[in-house]
Amino acid sequence: MSSHREAPEISKDPVADSSDLYAFVSPDDPETVTIIANYVPLQLPASGPNFFEFGDDVLYEIHIDSNGDARPDLTYQFRFRTELRNNNTFLYNTGQIKSLDDPNWNRRQFYSVTKVDAHGKSTVLAAKLPCPPCNVGKISIPHYESLAADAVKKLKTGEKVFAGQRADAFFVDLGAIFDLGTLRPFQNKHLVGKTLFNYAGKAVNATDKLNVHSIAIQVPLSAVRRDGKKSVRGRDPGAVIGIWTSASRRQVQVRQGDKKNADVEVGPQVQVSRLGNPLFNEVIVPMAQKDLWNSLSPAEDKRFAGFVEKPELASLLPVLYPGLFDNLAKLNKAGTPRADLVAILLTGIPDGLIDNFQNATGDTKADMLRLNTAVPPAKDPKAFGLLAGDLAGFPNGRRIEDDVVSISIRAIAGVTFALVDETFKPDAAAGLVEQGLSIKNVSSGLLKKFPFLGTPFDGFDNP
Amino acid sequence: MSRVRYGSRAVNRLSRRRVLAIAATAGVGVSVAGVTGLSLASETTSAKDDGQPLVISLRDASKGTFDIFSGGSKSTLTDKKLAARLLKAVKR
Repeated sequence: MSSHREAPEISKDPVADSSDLYAFVSPDDPETVTIIANYVPLQLPASGPNFFEFGDDVLYEIHIDSNGDARPDLTYQFRFRTELRNNNTFLYNTGQIKSLDDPNWNRRQFYSVTKVDAHGKSTVLAAKLPCPPCNVGKISIPHYESLAADAVKKLKTGEKVFAGQRADAFFVDLGAIFDLGTLRPFQNKHLVGKTLFNYAGKAVNATDKLNVHSIAIQVPLSAVRRDGKKSVRGRDPGAVIGIWTSASRRQVQVRQGDKKNADVEVGPQVQVSRLGNPLFNEVIVPMAQKDLWNSLSPAEDKRFAGFVEKPELASLLPVLYPGLFDNLAKLNKAGTPRADLVAILLTGIPDGLIDNFQNATGDTKADMLRLNTAVPPAKDPKAFGLLAGDLAGFPNGRRIEDDVVSISIRAIAGVTFALVDETFKPDAAAGLVEQGLSIKNVSSGLLKKFPFLGTPFDGFDNP
Repeated sequence: MSRVRYGSRAVNRLSRRRVLAIAATAGVGVSVAGVTGLSLASETTSAKDDGQPLVISLRDASKGTFDIFSGGSKSTLTDKKLAARLLKAVKR
């Protein structure tokens, strides 16, 4: 998946597991950037009596680098606290929930937002903001959409925030892809698949009808850009920001058994989850180093550059799809480092490779989602983003509807190598290969305004 | 006894007597603690942390190296004699 359960350790700690990160110039307010960090992946809607929630013992952060050193110049921290109204019931809600302070809602969660500047100075922007409830079902929550809308809060400092359950809009044919790299539309071309199928298959969205918990923030562009500029030109290095999210836990926890309230959590925060570009830790980093990667800052990513320069998946494609990726196989055999992938994932795309576009952040190799904030939202977004000539799409930031799986496969298959080596001719298959899904395969649909992700699937209709 | 500061605050006036008192009340973890991946995000601790539990981990018994976790910080001290006493207490 994008980053759902992407590393051995974090796969056992879903509350701290970042699954997707989106960053795009807001179509509902183009003077702002919307950043959405999803956590607690793969939620079944029917999950009573203990519905999903953020971790009170987890520090969630969204980091923004505005000067290309892969260190945060601006961090938003989110801390959660759960409150129980009634100690004598096993129920999440004892009646219908019609407002965010409805007395029938027993187990509520609140959060604070803290801003940390480049010098480490912390400012609490808001305390005790309410999360909406989980979408229990239409009997319990008859007007979920309006209830969730009430949980969107505008802060005095200009940011808009939301934290709570949403429908997962990531789309991936997980079952096929991790069954020996099968892409169902090309299953009859697959090394093993061709012995089983004589027809192209139809992809299945494995994450459809599942929920996540989202932390969404909309920030004025002038607050994230270098020097606080309100307006920049696309070629200005100050137009580009790098974004990543992380989750951390205290280094020490002592459980006191029946004296639950006496549990001790102390020590520095230890990072347990990180996410910048989708699929980086999932597909690029070897399993033996995935947990390590999750613990590190992007500033440390130079040590993983070799896996980007020679990605394992690039060597697998010619084997799994015989005869379709011969030019890629030659490129692999030559051992040429993939400068195209290094640019896309670690340094940004420099000016001059794509007409009227750059999102370079300098020489520091770091996995960050890079967004040129001078590029306005597209009127007609293309699922293949930059590969389709849509400068507002992945890998220029990431919109919810971008098909990051297919974009990444095409890039690794070689379509982007021609950008750095004009003599290289990508295989015809590299420009055609795709997983066979789009945002249309996300049943929830999307909202037209912040926080954009659709209403979570409810437990009653999705048992 | 030597001290090294890791967190945002050193453990002030950390006497052997206080360590023993802490060990007796908060419990002592005898472990080999890893320290990779400390978050960049600092969390300053304040005076209100006074009275909150400390957790002490004997990271290297042979060298007498202790990690002391308090609030949002970690400090390290070295005391071979204290390490030996604690090991004796847990029959190791």
